Amino acid sequence: MRPLSLSGRLRWMIVVVLVAVLLPLGLYSYWRTLKETHELLDGRLAQSARTLDVLIQRAGIDPLRKPGQGLLVVPIIGRQAEEQLMHGRTYETEVGYQVFDLQQRLRLTTANFARLPLPLTPTSGFENYDFEGYGWRVFTLIDDAGGVMIRMGERDDSRRDITHAMWLDLGLPTLLGLPILALLVGWAVKRGLLPLQRLTEALASRAPGSRQPIQLERAPQELQPVVGALNAQLERLEDALERERRFSADVAHELRTPLSSTMIHLDNAVATQILPDTRVALSSAQAGLARLARRIEQLLALARLEAGVAAGQRQAVDLVTIAMNVIDDLAPLLGEGGVEFAFIEHDDHLRLLGYEAALAALLRNLIENAMHHVPSGGQVQLSMHRTGTTIVIDVVDNGPGIPAERRASVFARFHREASSSGDGYGLGLSIVQRAAELHGASIALLDSPLGKGLLVRVSIPVMEKAST
Amino acid sequence: MHIILVEDDLPLGTAIQHALEKLSYAVTWLRDGREALAALRDQTADLVLLDLGLPNKDGLEVLAEARRAHVNTPVIVMTARDALEARVRGLDAGADDYLVKPFHVEELSARIRSLTRRAQGLAANRIDVGVLSLDIGTSEAEFRGKRIELTRREFSLLRILMERAGRIVRREHLENSLYGLDNSVGSSALEVQIHALRRKLSFDAIRTIRGVGYMIPRDPT
Repeated sequence: MRPLSLSGRLRWMIVVVLVAVLLPLGLYSYWRTLKETHELLDGRLAQSARTLDVLIQRAGIDPLRKPGQGLLVVPIIGRQAEEQLMHGRTYETEVGYQVFDLQQRLRLTTANFARLPLPLTPTSGFENYDFEGYGWRVFTLIDDAGGVMIRMGERDDSRRDITHAMWLDLGLPTLLGLPILALLVGWAVKRGLLPLQRLTEALASRAPGSRQPIQLERAPQELQPVVGALNAQLERLEDALERERRFSADVAHELRTPLSSTMIHLDNAVATQILPDTRVALSSAQAGLARLARRIEQLLALARLEAGVAAGQRQAVDLVTIAMNVIDDLAPLLGEGGVEFAFIEHDDHLRLLGYEAALAALLRNLIENAMHHVPSGGQVQLSMHRTGTTIVIDVVDNGPGIPAERRASVFARFHREASSSGDGYGLGLSIVQRAAELHGASIALLDSPLGKGLLVRVSIPVMEKAST
Repeated sequence: MHIILVEDDLPLGTAIQHALEKLSYAVTWLRDGREALAALRDQTADLVLLDLGLPNKDGLEVLAEARRAHVNTPVIVMTARDALEARVRGLDAGADDYLVKPFHVEELSARIRSLTRRAQGLAANRIDVGVLSLDIGTSEAEFRGKRIELTRREFSLLRILMERAGRIVRREHLENSLYGLDNSVGSSALEVQIHALRRKLSFDAIRTIRGVGYMIPRDPT
């Protein structure tokens, strides 16, 4: 389902509100117009009848009937011809009239009324007739004093023409205006929601993980609390992360300093003339201290990955340079142990957007783990290359490996393989896993191509723009 | 040889002073950043061991100010901070090397020797790494008490590796040092030299880190 669009919703609601108000108003005004027009036309009809009556009263009814002639028939010009003759006179309608004397004898009629039947009991007032295919509105005026009855009628369709013309004059501009109104509403909504659009753009253009406050020029009243709340949240996050960074740096300092003095004091003690028993005890203490130191380093690294590194922004780094630095740091382990280490098959540079410290921790722990698990005379090989949009890091050893069915469980934190001597190498894998997660990378444990042992493969997706 | 130790932690300072004195170094132990800067400026020391978290003046500031004042004494930065930060900021400020706490006496003395080897070697015309020594005057090596003749190339190669004993020396660095930008030298030339040296010393005296470079261990056998 498509997410709700605020501007679409607003547009629809405005249109619905407009229609809800304008439609009844329009219908009411149409109805009122019809009614008024009707009354107006009725009035005109009655007035015409009275005017005719006055004229007949002045002249008398007799002159209407010429000697030798039965009935005076007034010809009516056809409506179409009349329209051609008097162009544009919309409100002139086809009328007809009859004049009777009090004996109800027809004295005068228009041609179109010649065959209009007389009602049985004529009364004054308005009536509707259907006559020769047309509807008529007829006004009957009975002037007892003058001895005259006048019937004056108007064709309904003529009257309808008038109301149609009026409706067209009123309705057409509105109908034409509606699409323009809709367009303008759309424009207004879009324009009105511009600050929201700007906020969206400001948020979208931020670097992932950025905690810079959101800057929005001329933020409208409604958005100010939103921007304010977001910035306050960012500030709190920044504070919390800063506190965590400082805490983890303090913890590192507080742990490493006494560890250092203990380590050097022990070294000093071993270097003196001592009894063999004491030497054994001191060696055990040294070994224990080394394990403690390593464990602490790993926990610190993990804490940094959880807080510090995640808080920072990804930067353009070169994985080969990071690997070389890690290898330099591990020189004593790599060059002086009985295990042959090789950094094979890598491009000159493997650039990506990432966290240097996390990638260094990942490589360091992968190499240390492999070196630790391979017996003297064995091999460990590191290789890295880019295929498409993925950088693949392979660490291969020919140690005992991990049986396929147990590979899934080794990523649990503090998990230790049964064969491990318990130097916190499970923790090392947790570091690898967390560092991989930070980069959206996947880890696979596979069979080593060296015949036996393990291949740890880390696949890091890289953004296209970081490549060269 | 005179070493200035700058460390504000009492037990650690005591331990390091003790260890260095046993290695026959003359040690002046300071606990304050400002004192450290003054001592560095006097340029009486052959080497300075500088802790970064110091009262009154941060170790990095001390170092940067001393370097601005053209004090060239080798400085090893000691830090309880993270390796990455130490490398980037310490070396930027002008440190010659860095040690991340905790470290062993062996590591400390190796770093000190590595930094003073060149200076001392020039003075004594001699570099010592365990049972291996190199006479810079005569271009002769001595391994387990046995004198060994070296060609000019073998001597240069061994000297670079010995000056950085315990560290991996990148292949490209060795090739540039030995052959310069001479493109006519094949990629196997370095291997040939390493092979020749190994035959004269021992196979394990020079370790190969395939894909990276070579190193002479701190205690070659």
